[in-house]
Amino acid sequence: MDHTAEVREFFKGLLAIRHDRQPFTDSTSFFLSGRLSSVDAVELVVFLEEKYGIDFAEIGFDQSQIDSVEAIGSLLRNVKAID
Amino acid sequence: MSASATIVPGELAPKGLSRLRNFRLIPRVDTYPAVVAFAQTVFGKLVLLALFGLGLAYGSTDWLILTLCLALITFLPAQRRILVTISALLFAFIVPWKFFKQPFYSVALIVLVLTLGAVLFWCATLWPRSWYGRRPVFVFLCSFSLLIVIASYTPQGTRAYQLVWDFTNSLSVYIWFICYSLLDQKAAGRDPFSLQLGSYRPFWGSTNTPFAKGAAYLRGIEARNPEQLAVTQLKAIKLLAWSIMLSLFGAVFNYCAYGYLHIPQFSEALYLSANRTPLPWYHCWASILVGFIGSLISFSAFGHRIIACCRMAGFNALRNTYRPLSSRTVAEFFNRYYFYFKELLVDVFFYPFFLKYFKKNHKLRMVGAIFAAACFGNAYYHFARDLTFVQRQGLRGALMSDRVYLFYCVLLAAAISISQLRHRKPAPSGFIRGQLWPSFLVLLFFCLLDVFGFSDRNYPLTEYFRFMGHLFNLNL
Repeated sequence: MDHTAEVREFFKGLLAIRHDRQPFTDSTSFFLSGRLSSVDAVELVVFLEEKYGIDFAEIGFDQSQIDSVEAIGSLLRNVKAID
Repeated sequence: MSASATIVPGELAPKGLSRLRNFRLIPRVDTYPAVVAFAQTVFGKLVLLALFGLGLAYGSTDWLILTLCLALITFLPAQRRILVTISALLFAFIVPWKFFKQPFYSVALIVLVLTLGAVLFWCATLWPRSWYGRRPVFVFLCSFSLLIVIASYTPQGTRAYQLVWDFTNSLSVYIWFICYSLLDQKAAGRDPFSLQLGSYRPFWGSTNTPFAKGAAYLRGIEARNPEQLAVTQLKAIKLLAWSIMLSLFGAVFNYCAYGYLHIPQFSEALYLSANRTPLPWYHCWASILVGFIGSLISFSAFGHRIIACCRMAGFNALRNTYRPLSSRTVAEFFNRYYFYFKELLVDVFFYPFFLKYFKKNHKLRMVGAIFAAACFGNAYYHFARDLTFVQRQGLRGALMSDRVYLFYCVLLAAAISISQLRHRKPAPSGFIRGQLWPSFLVLLFFCLLDVFGFSDRNYPLTEYFRFMGHLFNLNL
């Protein structure tokens, strides 16, 4: 599974806990729109750290970096480019 | 016959329920295409502004100037952000001019604070790899704490004493706004300081907590086209209408509770308890329940009004209070009751700790970050907000009188930690087990916790425990 599909699945899981069955696209905003809260953001941060080795303490954390599947994709590309 | 007779009620019930679920006191006008299209016309915009101004006039003295600012922003959307800055400056200097005791001195203090904010922002931007640039918020908050210490030990009655305290008090009003600017420094598309300034006590209102956070958040939620602006402004009108309805309901509720049923205020019940003439246990319960519900209503109305203004300016900000009674966990209530305060604690205290420490131990990492935010951050916020106590009682005295609130913060952080460490899973099915019972327990917890949250710094912690005892008919 590529990282976009994995991130999509992870978002699906977070939404399921909130009984949110609305569809979403890769550009759907989750945190700025309020569909997910900062509690969910913490789980997502841990997922990205463990799965892709992202160190937010090093690169700086901004919620807009993880607001959508697309934003995470761009974050992962940037981190890889830096590595 | 019998089969159809059994099916019909079964079919009717869900329809009735779904109708009830979809019922809205205020229609969802932002979803009606014709209304959205109308709101994009010049006449439609004028109608929306007139309606909004009319709503603001209820309970706001600055409604006219606020509406004029909103009108400018509505008709010049390309200049929205700079107009927000101009409006913020208008509300910082011109609008309160008549309330300043020494206008030029007060203005000079605010200019000094804003200049400091600008210098801090530019330094962090210019030297991001420097010792300061890597931790600007931490350095700023430590320096502010040092300033409080210096102010506390400046000899009283001197000119320096007055000057240092006036500056410290002025800065305390802006510290969290400056913090958000400094947090934005690392973002790729960060705004220049001229736009950051619009989020420093924005013209739509705020407490010491930045409502609608900082410039980074405003960038993310700004309406990008006329349709989005129309939808956001329609949502603003709905929210303002809801705020007015809540205010009216709150007034009736307070009249019924305090005027008609003569339920004592919590402060009165606590005073009687501290003077060894406690009220009966049911009066004590009534006082905290009514106080809790009353503050929930008034605080919701207050937050809705501010967010409605923010939305009217074209920023689709989330509500500050959103269905707190439906919270099923302690953390959820904290999130739903005072969203922007929780966000401030998360952004300034939680994430810096969480991203840096105890990465190998998930539980310790989570609990540490929660205590950094809900306990330390919460206590620090209130300490920095109530600097008049420090000025009056001295640093040591103010810290001692803050013990009750500190206890509140420890309890809150412990409860949120437990709530977060429990395995997250979908709620059990059924309305009672899945929604009603967990919500009841959460509300009961916050209702009791509020006893310690109300701290006028007059009584020691033991008096609050004594009051808790009276709630359960125990005379301690």
